[in-house]
Amino acid sequence: MPIGIPVNAGRIDWTGENPGILLKEREDGPWSALALFFRIAWSPHGRGEAMMIYERPDLASGPPAAANAVITDNEPMARYLMREFVARFGVFGEVPAFAAMPVLPLRASATSGDPRGGRYVESVSSDTISVELVWEDLGRPTAIELPPALSGTGAHTMFSLLVEARRASILVNGRRLPGTPVPREQAGIRTTTAFLYFAETWISG
Amino acid sequence: MTERVPVNPGAVEWSGDNPGIYLKTDPAGGYVTLALFFRVVLSPHGRGTAMLVLGAPETALGWPQAPNLMITDNQALARYLIDDFVVNMPTFRGKVGLQAATFLPLTDARVSGDVRTRHVETVRSGELVAEMDWGDLGPPFAVEVDAAQSATGTHQMYSVFLEARAASVRLDGVPLAGRLAERQLFGRTISTAFLAFSETWVRPAA
Repeated sequence: MPIGIPVNAGRIDWTGENPGILLKEREDGPWSALALFFRIAWSPHGRGEAMMIYERPDLASGPPAAANAVITDNEPMARYLMREFVARFGVFGEVPAFAAMPVLPLRASATSGDPRGGRYVESVSSDTISVELVWEDLGRPTAIELPPALSGTGAHTMFSLLVEARRASILVNGRRLPGTPVPREQAGIRTTTAFLYFAETWISG
Repeated sequence: MTERVPVNPGAVEWSGDNPGIYLKTDPAGGYVTLALFFRVVLSPHGRGTAMLVLGAPETALGWPQAPNLMITDNQALARYLIDDFVVNMPTFRGKVGLQAATFLPLTDARVSGDVRTRHVETVRSGELVAEMDWGDLGPPFAVEVDAAQSATGTHQMYSVFLEARAASVRLDGVPLAGRLAERQLFGRTISTAFLAFSETWVRPAA
C-alpha cells in the first residue's frame, strides 16, 4: 500500500502523459532510434504536446541530415521539458543528437488504439516530418510511485501508470526506423524500453 | 505515515482526467447542480470522453424533460463510470437524477483556456452544447488516498487537483442554477469546483 498522507507537500512541476520508445539493433549495441512524447495537462508553461524524435541519436545534426527534432504546439513548454527533464533522462540527454534538435511547430496530432488492447499509436506531424509511435503486445497497467533516487531526474518524486510494450516501432515519414525494444529494469520491475506512461506527475521537494 | 512502495500491487481500474463542479443556491442546503467531466485514457471499456450534467439531481427525469444528461463517445465506458464509481461518491449518492440521466452521443469535444488561470471543457451532441468552465485557479497539488479516504470507499486514488474559485456549468450558453460552496476535502477547506488531472483509480490487492 503506497499511500501515506493524502496531500503531497511537494511542488508539481508537470502532469500529463509521457510514453516513449528506445530501439537497438542488437542488445549490446548503441541506441538506433529514440522517441519521447509528452501530452501535458498542466505545467508552468501551460498545456500542450511535444514529440522528441531522434532518428539518428549518434548524429549532432537536425533536419535535413536526420529527423532529430522537437515537434510541439507549445514551444516554451517544450523547451522547459527539454532543459529540465529530457536533459536528465539518461540516454535522451546524453546522445549527440540532443543538443542539435530544432523546435518545429506541430501541425497535427492523433491518438488511436487502446492501451488495454493490442495496439496504441501516437502520431504527430510538423510541416516536414511526420512521426508515428506504435506500441504493441501491451502488458498489465501498473501504478508506480518513484522516490527521487529511482526517478528519471534523480531529484523528483514521480507518480505514473506504466503499460509496457513488448513490441514497438518508430516511423518517420512512413519509414520504419531500425531496431527493436530491449529489456530493462525499473524500480524492480523487469520491463522493456517501449512504454506507455499515463497519469504521470513530477513533484519537486 | 504508512510505508511507501514504488509499485502498487493493485489492479488499475481506470485513468484519466476527472474535473467537477458542484453548485448550491443555499450554502446550508443540498447541491442543485452537479457536473463531472471524464477524459479516460485507459479503462476496461477503452478510451473515451464523457460529460455528466445533473441540473436537477433530485428529479427522476432525463433530458429534455429535466437537465440531467450524459454526453459521451463511449456509452459502455460512461455506464461503467456511473455504475461502479459515481453512484458511490457521497455527493451523488441517492440522487435520482443520476439514474434518470439521458445518454446522448458526443459529436464534438474541445478544451480551451490557459490551464494556469482558466479551463473550459466543451462537448456537443448535435445542436446541444454543454460547457464546464473553471476560473480563478489555484496551484496544483498531488493527492493519493487510500480506500477509506477515497470517494468510492473501496479504491485507492492518485490525482492532481487544482481548486477553482469561480466556475459555471452551461447548457446552450445558459448557466445552470447555483453558486460555488466550500467543503472539506483531503483535510483542507476548498471550493466545490476543481480540476483533477492524471487521476488513477486502483482496486487494492487482496
